Amino acid sequence: MTILHGLLVDLEPFTREYQKEKAHIYWNNESRVWAMMGECEPITRAQLNRIMEERAGAAERGYTGVHFMMRARDGNIIGSMGLNWVDYWNRAAWLGAWIGEEGYWGGGHGTDALLLMVEYAFQWLDMRRLCLGTMDINERAQRNVEKVGFRLESQERKAALVNGRWVDGLNYGMLREEWLGRDPLVERLGLREKAEQRYGRES
Amino acid sequence: MIEGTLVDLVTFEDDFAIHMETWMNEEAWFRARLWERREPHTEDDVKKFIEKMEKNEHGALIGFQSKDGDPIGGVMFDHEWTRVRKADAIFFAGDTRYEGTDEHLDGLLMLLRYCFETRNLHRLDASALTFDEVRIDLLRRAGFVHEGTLRQHIRYDGDYVDVEVFGILADEWPGYEQKVAGLDLKPSGIEPKPKPEKKDDKDAGGAKS
Amino acid sequence: MLEGLLVDLVPYGKAFTDLEHRWRNHEASFYGSGGDRYFVTQAMVRRMMQEWAEERERGEDPGVAFGIRTKDGKPIGYMGINWLVPYYRLAMLGAKIGETEYWGGGYGTDALLLLLEYAFDWLDIRKAWLMTTTMNHRVMRQMEKVGFTLEAQQRTSALADGVWYDWLAYGLLREEWPGRAAVIERIGLQAREEA
Repeated sequence: MTILHGLLVDLEPFTREYQKEKAHIYWNNESRVWAMMGECEPITRAQLNRIMEERAGAAERGYTGVHFMMRARDGNIIGSMGLNWVDYWNRAAWLGAWIGEEGYWGGGHGTDALLLMVEYAFQWLDMRRLCLGTMDINERAQRNVEKVGFRLESQERKAALVNGRWVDGLNYGMLREEWLGRDPLVERLGLREKAEQRYGRES
Repeated sequence: MIEGTLVDLVTFEDDFAIHMETWMNEEAWFRARLWERREPHTEDDVKKFIEKMEKNEHGALIGFQSKDGDPIGGVMFDHEWTRVRKADAIFFAGDTRYEGTDEHLDGLLMLLRYCFETRNLHRLDASALTFDEVRIDLLRRAGFVHEGTLRQHIRYDGDYVDVEVFGILADEWPGYEQKVAGLDLKPSGIEPKPKPEKKDDKDAGGAKS
Repeated sequence: MLEGLLVDLVPYGKAFTDLEHRWRNHEASFYGSGGDRYFVTQAMVRRMMQEWAEERERGEDPGVAFGIRTKDGKPIGYMGINWLVPYYRLAMLGAKIGETEYWGGGYGTDALLLLLEYAFDWLDIRKAWLMTTTMNHRVMRQMEKVGFTLEAQQRTSALADGVWYDWLAYGLLREEWPGRAAVIERIGLQAREEA
């Protein structure tokens, strides 16, 4: 049951397992700090359920985002990837990603998911521009997005408090004409090799 | 239930609803419902869709299965106009092993039979992406007439593609028995799937993040 | 507000919804509906307008509606996008001139050109399309004049006064739209002189 197939990850619809277990784990572990720009106060299941229910009803109220669950090639659910907000008039969308399982940070999972998402946004939704934000301390994310072709467009100074330190917010953007395409980038970034290293040859 | 030659029409529930969680995320579905944004459908989305069709006064979602009881997919009519008695005809073989088979064709013929001979519709509209040869071939064999091409209408994988428009009138439908008599439909001998695992539905009402 | 030569496109507000009762119950709705003749009471109109407003509030309205108003302020009809599919950049248009003395004379065409300019330049659509029936010769002529292409003909799909007609689908791609000024020039649309 898959929509977007990658080499290291697939992007799929969210399952009950994600809603009932994984989300709660991710919202309370370190990954939240990285994915939500410094936010980290503990959250109960009840609170989280309320948030999820709100979001579930949002599509009926005109919410335009599209969200996928990230599943690694070994079958484990590892996080999510999506367009948090799609502006159809300007054909621009804001990307958001969250890898909740530390064991999958790096190794190419995030990059693979990013390439799938960017391709979807340009190929299927005919977007002209994509943007995303991260923190200056998130060097892994910066490397990933720059490798894929995003350009640093603005730096919000001392925008978030993380672990007692003020960090800058970095805003990246990519225009359609700057997108090289998933296949050339998979080549250039050696994703096939990374996938083989981690998971062995594709059957 | 309405019995056909190679398939039967049944309610879209139970095993069909479970299979739909897969079917609604795959190509066959998106090709049949080409007006929708292509995006992931969670189990809740599937449930909501089925419920919406149950409440739909202008259409219906019906399952079709092989003579062995193997669920194949769904047939639908939608946007029924009561005054001129026309509707959209939609069909999808969720189990893609049956795509293009005579079972697939019989599903469509059974839909026409139901719409013309039971629901007394006067006309059915159908459309297909221009490169969807399987669907176009089935529509033609069923008797639909090509009525035009909507140029560059739908986005598909990086391009804008044409949509072929078809229609069939009640007086162009010779009746199911006569239609089938002229077609020599043959079963494909496809092995029925194992029954899907029943989900534990105690926690219905989950939400997506 | 979009300003034209003969008409302006304005929000479809009270001045227009107040006239819905008259417009729905007469000839104006006969063509747009493909042959239907309605019996619509004031109460029914109020409910319809209320539901429409609620739909808009919920973000469920798939369209963009404009009222057509003559240069001297008279509301004469509706021109809008009935169904916008943003992820296909596709707009299905609809129009109704409620005041029959304004049929012909360029008012509808002026309004259509304003809407097309809005849709292409502001909503960045790639294609505008609309449907009419073979009994609506006025619109069929207008389609050709403005540059639409006949794309599909659904046979025997509209019933008007006991006669069957076809629904026609017309389409206009972005690359076929030379801009409002160029079309006005080409078809010789001109502002009316006040009587």
